[in-house]
Amino acid sequence: MKIEERASTHVYRQRQMLSKEDLEARESLCVHEQPAYCNAACPLKLDVKAMTAAIAAGDFDRALALYEKITPFPQLLSAGCEAPCEQSCKLCSLGEGISIRALESAALTWGKKSRGMSFLRKKPAAVGIFGGDLMTLFLAGELVKKRYPVHFYCAENDPRALVEHCVPGFSPEIVQSTAKILAAMDIQFHWNTDPAAAFRQAEQPLRAASYAVAASVFPGLEPDEALMVSRPQKLITGRTQGILGAAYGAKKAALSIDRMAQKLDPGSTRGEEGAVETKLYTSLDGVRPSSRIPVADRDSAIAEARRCIQCRCDECIKGCAYLQHYQKFPRILTREIYNNVSIIMGDHMMNKPINACALCGQCSVLCPNGYDMGEICRIARENMVFTGKMPLAPHEFALMDMLFSNEEAFLCRPQPGFDQCRYVFFPGCQATAIAPATVRSAYLDLCARLPGGVALMLGCCGAICHWAGRYELTGQTRRFLQACLADLGNPAIIAGCPTCKKELAEFTGLEVHGFWQLLEQIGLPDKACPVPRPVALHDACGARGDSGTQKSIRRIAAALGCQVADTPYSGDEAPCCGYGGLTQYTNREVARKMTEKCLERSDLPYLSYCMACRDRFAREGRESFHLLELVYGTAADHCPDISVKRYNRLGLKQQLLKELWNEEVISVDLGFTIDYTPEAEALMDDRMILKSDVIQVFQHLRETGEAICDSETGLYITRAREGNVTFWVKYRETDTGYLVVSAYSHRMKVVNRQ
Amino acid sequence: MADKNYYTIDPEGKLTCLKCRCKLQKDKAKFLYLDNGFPVELPVCPRCGFVYVPEELALGKVLAVEKALEDK
Repeated sequence: MKIEERASTHVYRQRQMLSKEDLEARESLCVHEQPAYCNAACPLKLDVKAMTAAIAAGDFDRALALYEKITPFPQLLSAGCEAPCEQSCKLCSLGEGISIRALESAALTWGKKSRGMSFLRKKPAAVGIFGGDLMTLFLAGELVKKRYPVHFYCAENDPRALVEHCVPGFSPEIVQSTAKILAAMDIQFHWNTDPAAAFRQAEQPLRAASYAVAASVFPGLEPDEALMVSRPQKLITGRTQGILGAAYGAKKAALSIDRMAQKLDPGSTRGEEGAVETKLYTSLDGVRPSSRIPVADRDSAIAEARRCIQCRCDECIKGCAYLQHYQKFPRILTREIYNNVSIIMGDHMMNKPINACALCGQCSVLCPNGYDMGEICRIARENMVFTGKMPLAPHEFALMDMLFSNEEAFLCRPQPGFDQCRYVFFPGCQATAIAPATVRSAYLDLCARLPGGVALMLGCCGAICHWAGRYELTGQTRRFLQACLADLGNPAIIAGCPTCKKELAEFTGLEVHGFWQLLEQIGLPDKACPVPRPVALHDACGARGDSGTQKSIRRIAAALGCQVADTPYSGDEAPCCGYGGLTQYTNREVARKMTEKCLERSDLPYLSYCMACRDRFAREGRESFHLLELVYGTAADHCPDISVKRYNRLGLKQQLLKELWNEEVISVDLGFTIDYTPEAEALMDDRMILKSDVIQVFQHLRETGEAICDSETGLYITRAREGNVTFWVKYRETDTGYLVVSAYSHRMKVVNRQ
Repeated sequence: MADKNYYTIDPEGKLTCLKCRCKLQKDKAKFLYLDNGFPVELPVCPRCGFVYVPEELALGKVLAVEKALEDK
């Protein structure tokens, strides 16, 4: 099996990662941008959520500005609004909803009116309004905002009388303030006029685009209520109910006037009007029921506004360090990834986010609609591999590691004494890399206690190339493993790792058990090491949706005497430790945040059943065990570096070959020694340089003699190109070989130039 | 491609080629990656042509250009 670097940055191959319909269907699952319940209920589209937030922050001016945006007569609306927003407040399902009307009133009382100026040019076509009622009053205001010259014909003799006529029964203060606003508006009033007579005479002098007509003046008109237009006469009119109905009717009418003034059909392309249904989901977990706080002053208004929970759906982000890092919601992220994949030339700015997702599927469980960001990223990765746009650098080390597991360190043997076995134990590449002694104990135990023979297969299940989007390599790996399993007689698989269990079940078609399930059948071994103290159980992301595994692990932990403490985000909701999806290799910063996210759930030692999780938690300084370590009383290596991980895999293979199958592996003597300073070892682990790479560099040195000496430091420096990487080693000579002081690498090839 | 030098490192006589026993000199070299080429001047052995890429350069500018090209 071979992994190839992309040939060139000048590649023009392209393929859509998703059809447009599929993309839209997936995007529509994300409800983050859906309006809050209160906003959706308001036909005037008041941004209640933002207004409440402004008051909660003590910014009454901004709250007033938001409120004034929806109506020309805020006092009037606030006093008479039926407030459907209050009934739809999410808090109503727990206790009392927010007093939105009281907050509107607070904004009007303590907010300073902004002296906003309209930059719209005055429209040429005038509008005549004939007769005053609530709707025409609001309409006049709406039209002034739109900069139409307005002629208002009414029987009343001044603004106050007109307002009183329109809104009988309102307090004198409201009438007074509304009349004041009305009087200040750029409206040409025709007081003491008979509206009907004026209408008949007005057509010529006004050259009006439309006429607004009060329903009471011309009761015979039959308007289309959705447009507030009487179709045959093309007159604006309509019956409305209540203050809110009138304000909404005026908005519809003003829009119809706009359309007709442009000689367009008033009924088409009007956009979204009125109250809407929202698909928003807001969790009330952790929200306590509360009662309304009477709004009497600024402080009580702020306190009432602070009861607002600012409804939004961020279920996925709350649990996922990856989404938190990029601060993007799945819908936005999906669209940006889709666009990134579609770019033929230029910078692909979303490559990093595509390769940083753990593909763990946590979002699909946390999202009320099952949005699976991991699936999007995996599809994008495969698409990039197909089009030749996927760089090899982020995944190369992991892929080479997989090839090492399935070539040099691979082992597939039936149990000694058996031609065909009933089972095959597949511990997984991370268990053999981090806890070889535990794997050995587990295999010997299975051989001793399971009837029918247990074969052994040391290797990688192919998750690495599957995560990397290398679909061809995934196919090859799967075919290779299938062939090996067929050679063993297709036994039932005992997987030591939940991800292996999932992967192997996907393509082998064989019976796949978790090791833990077998342990439950045969019982714990004698040397099981109870841990009678509290631990936090971290569920592996590979076991998401596998409640059988999750329950089995808990039963075994209980049998071992562990007091398993419940943590948030456990079971199907568990986050990834940072290893999944190869995040550990592609984006260390995000991977580290993922580990921290896992560890912030509890201060206790962590018990896990995936060796990668165990290792990453230990690296972050947390006491961490794998279940099998407790079952077999053998400790895993403490934070082995990348070279030790390979050595462990190879060492276990050689040890078992000798111990069980009497096959001696002849170790090759290099003929020289290589020592490392502790700093060099740490540096190499950080820079992903293996000791086997360094060996090759020295072998190259001994073949060619190519090296230089830096007289300033006294160090020798040599290099060798291996595959896609040039490795440089700084060293001193010793009596028997070399002492490595530093090592670094680069992917660029360097050549002489004439 | 225009023969433009993007990067120059002067060995200042402190580097010696072990094989040829001569001082490395500032000379023309070229970085190649993903079908792109970048002319540079680096310490080069005048006899065997060994091109030295210093650690700071490999982990600095070279790495930055690699990453930029990988996302093209």
